[in-house]
Amino acid sequence: MAVDLPAPRVGPLAEAAPRPLRLVLNWGRRYSLWVFNFGLACCAIEFIAASMARHDFIRLGVIPFAPGPRQADLMIVSGTVTDKMAPAIKRLYEQMPEPKYVISFGACSNSGGPYWDSYCVTKGVDQIIPADVYVPGCPPRPEALLHGILRLQEKIAAEQVSGAAIAQRRRPASAAQLTRPLVGPGGSGPLRPAGS
Amino acid sequence: MSLAIGSPDAVGQRLGSALGLDAPLPAHDAQGTVCVDVPRERWHDALALARSDGGMDMLDWLSAVDEPDGDPAGVDVVAHLVDSRSGRGVGGPGGPGLVRLLARTRLPLADLAVASVTDLWPGAAWHERETHEMFGVRFDGFDDGTGQGLRPLLLPDGFEGTPLRKSFVLAARASKPWPGAKEPGESDAGPPSRRKVLPPGVPDPSWGPREAGT
Repeated sequence: MAVDLPAPRVGPLAEAAPRPLRLVLNWGRRYSLWVFNFGLACCAIEFIAASMARHDFIRLGVIPFAPGPRQADLMIVSGTVTDKMAPAIKRLYEQMPEPKYVISFGACSNSGGPYWDSYCVTKGVDQIIPADVYVPGCPPRPEALLHGILRLQEKIAAEQVSGAAIAQRRRPASAAQLTRPLVGPGGSGPLRPAGS
Repeated sequence: MSLAIGSPDAVGQRLGSALGLDAPLPAHDAQGTVCVDVPRERWHDALALARSDGGMDMLDWLSAVDEPDGDPAGVDVVAHLVDSRSGRGVGGPGGPGLVRLLARTRLPLADLAVASVTDLWPGAAWHERETHEMFGVRFDGFDDGTGQGLRPLLLPDGFEGTPLRKSFVLAARASKPWPGAKEPGESDAGPPSRRKVLPPGVPDPSWGPREAGT
């Protein structure tokens, strides 16, 4: 006997939701995180190790099989962020639907790491996208990633679904951002001219 | 095993006489591989001869080394050539091993240009593009079949400068305050004293914002 339940959403009604419902919504969100893994370098191997049998972050509810950014709500940036990769990270982050969270995994994505003085390294992924949890290490142990996921889950559990909190999460785009030209796949120029 | 091509003197002799020069080319043993120094204007000829007569049919890599303290100062372009038919086990267990050669030429700082070898090995195109963007070396006669000429390979659009030159300063060292040791062996935080010789690329402590307390 199938039961029709509406998909839980954090919409405007959630502001007016009674406390028990907010607890349920937060519970649902933090225990079914779909990961869009942005594996760039060595930390990606540690991420894979954390998803495998011994450490297994799937038992925390984090599923690493998001087919793409549009079906994910957690992005784990693991590895060195180069200046050439930075626009791609920004673009894929913007393609993720709200509510979305970012874990910066490893020293390189926290702050540039051992390559902080390089000519082509972005010193931390938080220069382009907002990060919720930073996991230090070079590379961090898989257990450190598990710890980071637990901290993120605590953070989601403590989310107050108030108007101010939603407004702060939504981060409305500025006019310059909305009319920024898109970069074509070949990197050869804007797909859409600015201002149109 | 890796000196399978012969002794450095023999290689310098053979290549020098094949190029029609009076003296043998200077050659030395670089950690088990023979490295021969070729005059700049004969770069293409020397590599063509190594390919046709020496049997070095594979270009492993081509890159550059910035030698600002050399005599004369300049940028060395280095190519690693391999005979792909040789190798460990070829010719029996006591066989000669992998036949390979390092060819090197020095470009003066005033004119960083040398002939391109893309007509000998099309795969040299990517190596020459990378050397061009990282060291500022111009390869005359570059042709990779697309008609777009010598252009950057790896760096993002709009990047200015040639990063792997020793004169290219790592601006992040001056602009971003970094706690802790910046060089191996430093135990405490703090800028290196002016009397110490700074590694190439590290800006002088007078660059950028001053750290607290200095």
